[in-house]
Amino acid sequence: MFLRLLIESFRRQRRRKILAGIAILLGTTAVTAMLALATTIGDRIQDELAVYGANIVVTPAAEQLDVQVGGIDVRPDSGGATLKESDLKKLRGIFWANNITGVSPQLPVHILGTTSEGETLDVAATGLWFRHSLSNGGPAIVTGAPALHPLWKLTGEWPKETSPTANSADAVIGSALATSKGIHTGDTIQLTPSPQNPGALHSLHVTGIVATGDTVDNQILLPLSTAQSIAGTPDAVKRVEVSARTKPEDSFARKDPDSLSAKQKEIWYCRPYANSIAYQIREAIPGARAEQIRRVEQSQGTVLSRISGLMWLISAAAMLAAAFAVSAAMATAILERQVEIGLMRSLGASKTSIALLFYTESGLLAFITGAIGYIIGSGVAAWVGIKIFGASATPALTDILNPVLLPVIVSLSLLIAIAGSTPAIRRALSMEPSSILRTGA
Amino acid sequence: MSHRISLFQMIRRSIMHRRARSLSALLAMTISAAVATALLTLYTSLDAKLHHEFRGFGANIVITPAKGEKHFADGTLDKVQALAGPDANAAEFGYAVATTDRGTPVVVAGTDFAAVRRLDSWWQVTAWPTPAETSSALLGQHAAQFIGDENNVQLTFADRPITLHGAGRLNTGGDEDNRIYMPLASFTAWTGALPSVIELQVPGGAAQVESVIGDLRKQLPGIKVDPVRQLVEGENRIVDKTHALMYAAMILIALTVAISVLATLSASVLERRRDFALMKALGSSTIHMVGLFVCEAVVLSIGGVMIGYILGSGASSLISQLNFHTATMPRLSVLPAILLLNVSIAVLAALLPVRLLRGLQPAALLKGE
Repeated sequence: MFLRLLIESFRRQRRRKILAGIAILLGTTAVTAMLALATTIGDRIQDELAVYGANIVVTPAAEQLDVQVGGIDVRPDSGGATLKESDLKKLRGIFWANNITGVSPQLPVHILGTTSEGETLDVAATGLWFRHSLSNGGPAIVTGAPALHPLWKLTGEWPKETSPTANSADAVIGSALATSKGIHTGDTIQLTPSPQNPGALHSLHVTGIVATGDTVDNQILLPLSTAQSIAGTPDAVKRVEVSARTKPEDSFARKDPDSLSAKQKEIWYCRPYANSIAYQIREAIPGARAEQIRRVEQSQGTVLSRISGLMWLISAAAMLAAAFAVSAAMATAILERQVEIGLMRSLGASKTSIALLFYTESGLLAFITGAIGYIIGSGVAAWVGIKIFGASATPALTDILNPVLLPVIVSLSLLIAIAGSTPAIRRALSMEPSSILRTGA
Repeated sequence: MSHRISLFQMIRRSIMHRRARSLSALLAMTISAAVATALLTLYTSLDAKLHHEFRGFGANIVITPAKGEKHFADGTLDKVQALAGPDANAAEFGYAVATTDRGTPVVVAGTDFAAVRRLDSWWQVTAWPTPAETSSALLGQHAAQFIGDENNVQLTFADRPITLHGAGRLNTGGDEDNRIYMPLASFTAWTGALPSVIELQVPGGAAQVESVIGDLRKQLPGIKVDPVRQLVEGENRIVDKTHALMYAAMILIALTVAISVLATLSASVLERRRDFALMKALGSSTIHMVGLFVCEAVVLSIGGVMIGYILGSGASSLISQLNFHTATMPRLSVLPAILLLNVSIAVLAALLPVRLLRGLQPAALLKGE
């Protein structure tokens, strides 16, 4: 009997069911979309923040004091301590290895040579990775300077990691230098032999011109291995820029790990703060000094937390609005059926069984439309995300449908539908059946 | 005249008599107005708020002397500040390479600490020197390791010695860690070097930065003015994308609420088929009755907008207080849009079921079918 009442109610009162169903569907769609966007916004904004470059810098601990003004070394390069390039793969083995999204080692060298047009060159150059595959036995990340500097504008191609011949290597020229010395893509620069570079490497082949908007515009960029052989220091790097996904700094993050108790230190260690990642890098690479670049890290954290905070608050507002809308629709749907309730009661149905029937109807409706709303909402979120942030690749179905959200959304819609029905059901049940039937509502 | 009064009375009666129904319609209108107000108010002030957050990244314009010149002409900083406006932060720096008592070369920078503190909020400083102390310095944390006694920092520049008192240590993770910062006046008196870099932070997006750069280049010919490209472009990208995201969210939520309100109100009109039938049987025209419904809906929606505007302004101010730690004042400029939106929804809700009503037979309805 109960089942038949339920089925008939859905069959016969289609308009009312559709109305309430649409309200729940829209509410859950909006809430799902907002929650799905809010949960992914952090990663998306962090990807956008990558234009600010590295947030951790690694330098040799025993290094002498840098004497740099405006990016130009005032003191002649005195060698000094270096890090080992071969140690960098250890970055893939630290606790937060998967949060490290970019690694860019640098080795500054000095280049003496002549261009194809006979101009003499006496310029600074930097050895870099361009597309280097960094692996510690496990899966590799392909990284390098271009990945950490998305605003560098290259015309031509980045140099190849390994030289095509033993005595020639690829290079990219900064745009200001290229203009002032008249160097073009395809040119060859003859190197002047020096004590460090006794002549194994004769020439640089220019594969491109890069515009960076800073001091790099006046430099030559070389593959790291070429810079090492020019400087005569195999395996050496002077400075490593690391870009890592971090958690915005809070007061706990600023604590000195060595002053914490063993348990607290473990918690500190296992959170992706810039400070903890820098600490782990110091542990992994002997003789290294790793520090967060505060200008980037501090402000990134604020921007990130503001934007994701805004999304969460708006999601909360959406949830509240959807809850009101759904409960209003549910209340309307039940108030409309006062006559039916009056009739059922006068035919002898108990209040409990009527309430049960209405609750079951609401619940069933909420369950089905909530699930549909979840699917539509996830789709909307994915579409909006791709429209605004662009898609790196075709998103997999598992990326679009967040499995954690499904139970959350369905139970929320159940809860709201039942809570929204309650006042109306109570009101309808509290009225005298005879008076309802007489006035007919 | 009497006709008008009767319409007014009918609406009043209709609203007062069906208090529960009218209240639920009013509630729906209030919520839709409140949500729209909150989102629109936040949306209109979003860009300014986001740009404010980006001030933490520091200078977005770097100014250096003309080619061949070693330093700026007198009063350049004041001119720059005047051109960039009172909201911009500017700080000037002079640099020299001095030698410590242990013979290590170190970069010493002269600057105005108050200006730097405003500009470079990411500097982590143990204690800022007070303006009164002319010989107090900030020691970069790396530079400090090359100095014997931080209270008695002895430096030499071109055989001219100076003794500074280290007020605090500086930690930035950048080049600043390797330097010693001191007040500009004492720096110039000691080394003879004048400021050679002005760092300027202009609030706002790429358009504002570009316009300030244009003004500076025009008014201060010869001087090199460069944007810090990664900051300007990065800020623009993120603000634009957040803006677009907020826009999408606003449309999504407004649509949800509007359609729910539409459903609730239409249902309440439909449910009064009996009234409709009775009035029709008593001889009133369809247009007259539709007018009544529309008037009723408009009255309810205006009431809803008034309450909703207050609630929504409160909500937006709460959200920005929670998230951005700054207040958002209620904006009267959003009110016309909200009013238009809600009144249209209400009118639409009242008109939607008219076709359905027109087809109904009063006699059949009144008999209770």
